[in-house]
Amino acid sequence: MLAYWKNFFRKHGAALSLFLLVSVGFWIFMMIILPQAFMLDFSLRANVPPPKWGTDAHHYTTEHYRYMLYGSAQSSDSYNFVDLSVFGRTILAAIFVTLIDLALCYPVAYYLAHVSRGGWSRLMVMSLIVPFWVNELLRAFAFKIMFGSNGIVNDALIWVGVIDQPYDFIRNSVALYSGLSYAYILLMIFPIYNAVESLDKNQIEAARDLGSPWWRIHKRVVIPHAKPGITSGCTMVFMLTAGALAAPQILGGPSSLWFTQIIYQAFNQAGNWARGSAYAIILLVVCIIFVLLMMRVFKVKLGEIAR
Amino acid sequence: MILTADRVRKFFVLFFVIGFFIYLFGPLLIMSVTAFNSSAFPRMAPFECFTVEWFQVLANDDKLVEGLRNSFFIGIGVVLLAVPLGLAGALMLTQVKERVRPWYYTIVISPILVPGVVLGISTLLFWDRIGTMFGASRESLFYDGFFLTIIGQATFISAYTMLVFISRLQRFDLSQEEAALDLGATHVQTFRKILLPFLKPAIMSAAVLAFLASFENYNTTVFTIISESTLTTFLAGKVRHGINPSISALAVIIVLITLFGAALHEVLKRREAAAAKETIRIVKGEQAHRKRATPFMLDPAVILILLVFAAGLGSAYLAGTVGVTECKAQVKAEKIQRTQERIKQREARAMFRNAPAASEAAGQQQIQSADKSERAGVSQFQSIFSTGNLQEQAGTGDDQSEAEAPETESEESPPAGTENFNSIFDPQNLNKQVNPDAAQ
Repeated sequence: MLAYWKNFFRKHGAALSLFLLVSVGFWIFMMIILPQAFMLDFSLRANVPPPKWGTDAHHYTTEHYRYMLYGSAQSSDSYNFVDLSVFGRTILAAIFVTLIDLALCYPVAYYLAHVSRGGWSRLMVMSLIVPFWVNELLRAFAFKIMFGSNGIVNDALIWVGVIDQPYDFIRNSVALYSGLSYAYILLMIFPIYNAVESLDKNQIEAARDLGSPWWRIHKRVVIPHAKPGITSGCTMVFMLTAGALAAPQILGGPSSLWFTQIIYQAFNQAGNWARGSAYAIILLVVCIIFVLLMMRVFKVKLGEIAR
Repeated sequence: MILTADRVRKFFVLFFVIGFFIYLFGPLLIMSVTAFNSSAFPRMAPFECFTVEWFQVLANDDKLVEGLRNSFFIGIGVVLLAVPLGLAGALMLTQVKERVRPWYYTIVISPILVPGVVLGISTLLFWDRIGTMFGASRESLFYDGFFLTIIGQATFISAYTMLVFISRLQRFDLSQEEAALDLGATHVQTFRKILLPFLKPAIMSAAVLAFLASFENYNTTVFTIISESTLTTFLAGKVRHGINPSISALAVIIVLITLFGAALHEVLKRREAAAAKETIRIVKGEQAHRKRATPFMLDPAVILILLVFAAGLGSAYLAGTVGVTECKAQVKAEKIQRTQERIKQREARAMFRNAPAASEAAGQQQIQSADKSERAGVSQFQSIFSTGNLQEQAGTGDDQSEAEAPETESEESPPAGTENFNSIFDPQNLNKQVNPDAAQ
């Protein structure tokens, strides 16, 4: 080990070695590992006001994790149905949004990569970037305008005659789900587009010449080739949707909460940082499990997901 | 034209793609239109008057300017931290042993996959505890919103920049470095003269990426910023507590800047491609010497883009300031007329209510038909604004934004936040309470 570092210093010189070690060390320990470790430690301690941190009152306890499961001791319910249902709905909705985005993006990515041609296709790919750089909050705001009771969607539906009273899209979470699908759609389309584009056109043509119908070409040729892109897109969209805070705050109905909003409330309204960090740990663990699951099911490496 | 299954399918795919792009740009387009509508509630239809007043409201908002400034400084700080960290991370990846490499990569890439909320919370808690350990005061760095936000954002933005560097380093020819070392250059010299110039484009794009990612981050910032505000936390507060078209105006500005940047980027790419082609031609000997390249700012395409944007902005400004007052006065007059008609209806209804119950059945029918002509949420504010009030406001038409806000609430059904109360104020409910007999 010592020999390795000696060699390392000799190879890069003292200044460069120091820069590399200090930067990477600071990043890994002070920014990635230790903060998470401290958060885990903090979530396992009693909720006491800051002056008492580090004293005996700040003892270890699993009460915040138990609270997530069983609720407070005073309540009559055997489980904490409020938080658990919010958690379950957040995860299910995130999966739902991911599937919608996949269904929307795959055909378009294929079209852009292999059907459209020349400058037109280039322009379309470039124009995809524009909505991406508009702030997430502003994108949610656009959906709030559209889906309001006097918004363009309600006006159009009334004009067509589908409905005669304004439909409350916000309250029924339609606005939230469309806003979330919209917010992260580009993180789905770009990985798939990059993967599909690298497919040799001749492979598709060979399959077609051999008499394969279009759906089998996709099933046997295009999708297997695009698998890393699809996995990457699905993972990113799921993570961002499950961890979204802006869109649920703006587009969420009065009665529907997102799990991140509960964390936010624990920090900013209830003043219960310990419970907030316990819930954050739960969210983190779910996300890690999801990534591992995706890696296992689709047999891809982490490096292919995070690109 | 024969209608084959293949053609039908192609038609559907095209239809789908067009629909997708409408979905992608429709919301932005609608939001942009609302920025120019004089209606105090951001809406596309009915379009009242074309105006740029919301941009003026935006420019006069001190909190927004402060948030923008803070976001800018934080963005610079993140660039200064995340670019070196990403570079070091990418260089280190090439140095660590084969056996540790997957572990190392997993750790440094993980911040991308960790929810931003979690990163914000862990940064906040960690530096808080460190501060306590050192007994630092509340004014020190450990409790400073800017410092925490820069650290928190840089945690995952460094991973982005690292990916940029990794993809560039993959094309680096290691023998260049070896040659320099063999020729007697020191390590620092090799780094500065060989590696850094090679990485320069990557450094530029990593810096831009880091700045933009920092500028639009909300999830991490909202926890680490503490008592300060950035553009995104300001926006979130504003959007949650009531919406008004000045936010649309901000979106228009951002969309325009993005379009502008994309156009310039395209020109830059074309110029690079053209330069590369010319080099090939020179190498082949088809052209004796290189033409002097026109400076970037004098490129005809750049000038054209600048002109188009300037013309667009100028005409929008002219159209949005000239004749707006007259147009608004007209719209206001129409509104007043409508309100007066409604009040008359209301008075008629009140007469019915007070009338003896002799013609109860007939009266009720009329009440209901009158009720249906109005939208559900109207009645809750109606009585607050008498006709006299409205005319007073119309007279002092200068202070538009303030005078209009309450009025629109009475004119239209209220904005989203109050919707859940709609049914409480339903006119028919009111009837039941005021006059239980009539509702029977």
